[in-house]
Amino acid sequence: MDILFGTISVPTFWKILLFVHFALAIVLLAAVTLQAVAILMPVRQAAGNFINRFSPVPAASYATLIVLLYLPQALMGAWIYVKYRTYVRIPMEGFRHWWTVGSFEFKEHVVTMGLALLPAYWYFWQQPLSEEHAVARKWVTIFLAFTVWYSFVVGHVANDFRGVGS
Amino acid sequence: MTQALDMDQRISQPGRSHVMEAATSRSTTRASQFGTFAITFGIAFAILYTLFERQNWPLFTYHPAINRLDFWKYPGAAEDGPPMFWYGWVVLSAACSAVLGWIATMVSVRWLQRATTFCCVMAALWPAFFALAGVIDERASFNAEFLRSVWVSGIPALVGAAAVSYFVSSRWAQRAWTGWLLFMPIGGLVILGYSLNTYFLR
Repeated sequence: MDILFGTISVPTFWKILLFVHFALAIVLLAAVTLQAVAILMPVRQAAGNFINRFSPVPAASYATLIVLLYLPQALMGAWIYVKYRTYVRIPMEGFRHWWTVGSFEFKEHVVTMGLALLPAYWYFWQQPLSEEHAVARKWVTIFLAFTVWYSFVVGHVANDFRGVGS
Repeated sequence: MTQALDMDQRISQPGRSHVMEAATSRSTTRASQFGTFAITFGIAFAILYTLFERQNWPLFTYHPAINRLDFWKYPGAAEDGPPMFWYGWVVLSAACSAVLGWIATMVSVRWLQRATTFCCVMAALWPAFFALAGVIDERASFNAEFLRSVWVSGIPALVGAAAVSYFVSSRWAQRAWTGWLLFMPIGGLVILGYSLNTYFLR
């Protein structure tokens, strides 16, 4: 770390880390959204409007990618959370941005619940897909998509308060 | 020579199919064991994380301002900066859930599903009775402050959970098993979200 901080300043390092966190979040967001859409609209239709003709990649092929993105994203978020707690949340409370503080507090719980479901989510998407777990697979996937969307939006709002480009 | 090879392949076919069946069976068992672990882990993690957060039982406390780690709950002095408990809740929940998940792979599925029903019903009833006790205490004409104790509301929750897990059919317990995987995190988020209402009602 000392070698790294000799090359770039500490604030720049954290801003780069935050940007990587954001960039990976975009990829994760795209993957969970496409998978959620694929399981909500599983029937492929050759004709019709754009929505009806929308034929995403088979939902199962996203599962490993989502696990491989979710886990490092959560770990990276946990690392950045240290700086949030000391350099962002305290001034946020000072400016009485209670909704932002509360939403971010809830974000840590939402991400944790998503992490808890990750092994089961991965298991449900293993080939051959089990018909027995079809309902659980669908709702766990939607729940995971919700956790990613919520975290993205709230993280973005917190970043706007004090982060990259704020 | 070719015929001899063909013959040899035909003879060895039954033996090979046995080996393949055994290998498939082993991999299916392993997958099924991982499934049992993963589902139990998810349910247990959601319940335990909610419990540890609400009771504030972290495995350790991190003080980011001074980069120090303390065992269990240690708010520290004011000059140490804000303490962080979240890491401690997550690590403790993950460790306990992993142990429970591992135990789950060693017990019978029927017993596991019934035990899961018991734990999940109890996890749902306990905060419900606790909230109800709060309402009774507010509205009762007599002194019902003793109802505010977490342990008092635990008694009807325990009885209710025991009754439900005893009377439900094995088929229902089996069908509900993966359902708890979703209900417990959502229920946990409702409780944790409600606990943050001070931020939203200021």
